[in-house]
Amino acid sequence: MSVLKRIDELSGNPKVRRSWFTLACAFFLIIIVIPSIFVVTKILTEWDLVNNILSDASTMDIIMGAVWNSFSIAFIVTVIDILVGLPMAWIMVRREFRGKNVLDTLMDLPLAFPTAVLGLSVVVFWAVPPEGITVPGLGLGITPYMLVVLLHIIFTYPYMVRSLSAILEQIEPNYETAAMTLGASRWTAVRTITLPLFRAGLATGFILCFARSLSETGGTNIALLLMGAITDDGGTFFTGPTFIAWMKTAFGGATSPEAMGAMILISVIMIVFALILLVVVRKVMMGFRIPIKKVWPDIGRKVSRGLLPKAKDVLAMAFLLFVVLIPSFYIFAFLTQPTGDIDFGGLLSATGTSFLVAGVAVAVDIVFGMPVAIYIARNKGNRLADVLDELVNVPLIIPTTALGFSLALFWGSFGFSDSVALMLVVLGHISFTYPLVVRNLVGAIEEVDPSYEEIAITLGAKPFQAFRKILFPIIKSSVLAGGILAFTRSLGETGATVAISDSVNTIPIYITNLVKAGMAGEYTMFAEAAMCSIVLIAICFVLMMVIRAMSQGGDRDA
Amino acid sequence: MPEIRLESICKDFDGHVAADDLSLTIGDGEYLCILGPTGAGKTTCMRMICGLTRPDSGRVYFDGEDVTDMDVDLRNSTMLSQSYSLFPHMSVYNNVIFAPRIKEWPEESAKQIVRSMLNMVHLEQKADWKPAQLSGGQQQRIALARALASGSKVLLLDEPLRALDARLRINLRKELRSLAKEMGLTCIHVTHDQDEALEMADRIAVIRRGRIIQVGEPRDVFENPATPFVANFVGRSNVVTGRLTASDGDHAEVTVPGGWVLRTRPTGIPVGTDVVVTVKVGSTKVSHATDEDIPNRMCTGTIERILYEGATITVDVSVDGMGTLSAKLPNRKYDDYKAGETVDIQWVPSKASVFTMPEQGLEEEMRLD
Repeated sequence: MSVLKRIDELSGNPKVRRSWFTLACAFFLIIIVIPSIFVVTKILTEWDLVNNILSDASTMDIIMGAVWNSFSIAFIVTVIDILVGLPMAWIMVRREFRGKNVLDTLMDLPLAFPTAVLGLSVVVFWAVPPEGITVPGLGLGITPYMLVVLLHIIFTYPYMVRSLSAILEQIEPNYETAAMTLGASRWTAVRTITLPLFRAGLATGFILCFARSLSETGGTNIALLLMGAITDDGGTFFTGPTFIAWMKTAFGGATSPEAMGAMILISVIMIVFALILLVVVRKVMMGFRIPIKKVWPDIGRKVSRGLLPKAKDVLAMAFLLFVVLIPSFYIFAFLTQPTGDIDFGGLLSATGTSFLVAGVAVAVDIVFGMPVAIYIARNKGNRLADVLDELVNVPLIIPTTALGFSLALFWGSFGFSDSVALMLVVLGHISFTYPLVVRNLVGAIEEVDPSYEEIAITLGAKPFQAFRKILFPIIKSSVLAGGILAFTRSLGETGATVAISDSVNTIPIYITNLVKAGMAGEYTMFAEAAMCSIVLIAICFVLMMVIRAMSQGGDRDA
Repeated sequence: MPEIRLESICKDFDGHVAADDLSLTIGDGEYLCILGPTGAGKTTCMRMICGLTRPDSGRVYFDGEDVTDMDVDLRNSTMLSQSYSLFPHMSVYNNVIFAPRIKEWPEESAKQIVRSMLNMVHLEQKADWKPAQLSGGQQQRIALARALASGSKVLLLDEPLRALDARLRINLRKELRSLAKEMGLTCIHVTHDQDEALEMADRIAVIRRGRIIQVGEPRDVFENPATPFVANFVGRSNVVTGRLTASDGDHAEVTVPGGWVLRTRPTGIPVGTDVVVTVKVGSTKVSHATDEDIPNRMCTGTIERILYEGATITVDVSVDGMGTLSAKLPNRKYDDYKAGETVDIQWVPSKASVFTMPEQGLEEEMRLD
């Protein structure tokens, strides 16, 4: 109590407030932003290594192939998400029907599944599984490329539907109704009125999905391992992140100069392209004009009536069911299989590590993210606030594997290495979860009228009292929701962890290793991996339910 | 209980001037209304008194003590905002007891104060409710109770009645003022509603573009406006331009387009100057045109239309050369006139003000932004 009181008193001093804000900004820059992109400087200091790779045609082929795969897959996935996400968002926001709540929960479920688990589940469902997996699937002879697309759709789709629905909820149906009373058909009204108002949601959804797909390592890695596309001594198909992970673990690690050069090169390429993309997408999306001058009333009327709108809804639902939900849940088919003894000790210790990493990362995110979030939310239009606002997105768009590699190089250059591996992994997880937490906080704080805190201060409260008695309780449910979102994201992360250290054993890495053992001939390991996955899903599912209860509780109070 | 003095305050928000060498004194226990159009700097003025906004230059004094650099929470000046800002996560009771708890008053006396405040606003039975469950008027009263329970001696009211519906707004005017008077508070009430200001204030300060252009008692501001802008902003006026052609201790004469000669109250403005004449629509009378000699007849015109407004009617009369003049009459006159009839327009010369033509032109002077 007395500590709080000391902070209350101190917060009355503007110098203290400014120092705390400066500290939070410094933390953001020095611990998060700079280490995330530090690898770019290596292209200058380690030019010889990189140059060797540039002149090595066969390695360059693999690198450019991996980069091409990553970006083209991300693009295809995002476009599909938009096409099927739009009608779905419409259904979720504008329709009332029985079971809407269930659908709402189902939609979020893939977010609760660690991607490594999805990788296993999706291969078993769609493709021909490797020897040793006895669960029957569709057994289609699809290529690794198509499989990765199918996998990435699953965990990006909820992001797209969520961002589109969020914007759609803010666009009043009155606009559409007004257009229709003025003689437009529903299709024309949506196309000329609602869609143009929608660009911000599209841009957010596009960036989120693209970045998530570009970044994903764990699930893709497992899928490619199971397909036999990546083995310990080589590979026929890589994405950028899986290539870095493979280099790090299979190719003799970062110690070999050849691997170092290749990893630097591909990381820099991925980071630079991703950042360019962030800027370009913003510009293109905001500048893009959906043609609204010309209307085709007859066509508009035809597509607004009869079977077509219904068919669109049915297709959207079918897509959700057959491409997203069933392949995700297919892992539960392993429950029908006999399992050997599960090594609970190993699972428990990996779970402990994962929880420790995720818990510390999220706590640090909230404490150091709060002042930055408050500043961004309360100073819209101010230069510094806008710059911070943009910078917060940077760790979000950078592929986590490249981010982890970059971070390891940064701290390595200060002499921190494997001896403090766990701490470095925590720092890595802070980097990519920080944007999730801060974004959530900014959104929540913007909703709160600043006059609450102002009035509290005129009533005699110190600034910190106004924060902890007024602002924080009001945004508490959003803080929790953002925290749990970041927590599950951290639990499921593979790429960053692998790129930072190969000694820290989190759950997804534990599962990946089981799968590798399975591929090496210990067939019972597949079933064990599946059982571990199911346990992990159960944990994440409970956390997701807590989020929902929290956010609904928040609605009731408001 | 303090006397508040603002001295040469300047404040600029990225080129928008919110206070331009603004000086104002509010007496101890006075109820002052700051009246002005949107964006005139009303709210900024108030935020500088409680410290939420810091002036670029100039000083703020409470009872002679310079408080310009004092922290907001120590000033004992509480704001009541137009959205009330009742803390949504707390019950009514916890809202009201917020300040006593923050200030660590003994729990027993805090509880007693809260109870008496809730009593005073007649809402003691709603203590356990959440703000969202209350009606607008109830929220307004709870916000007031919360402000009063804080022990502040300065109450800053930022359009406190704005969000209420019209009838309730009028009822609450008296209540608010009498509560403030009872507690002996120094009140600054910001509004853009001139009726509210006229009815509630001890004195009105008319603010425009960050400057105070007139301070005075309601009747004074209404009847003796300092500028043509005030004349039209505080109660609507007929505004006519012309040239001062005669002036004595009794009245002045202004010749206007169309050759009419309008009489106004006496003025010190020299004869031959371009002037603006204003006369409140309520002081403007009409009567059926006649050849008889009517003492206060100023001009004659044709009725354009008659607006029925409930208790009053407004008769718009088109006068050759001058445009349209309006007269506000009691509604029982509604059947006496018809559009197209010719009427005489009269007013008592002492009700008409005369001003030198503003340098920036009349249109600029009368703008409401």
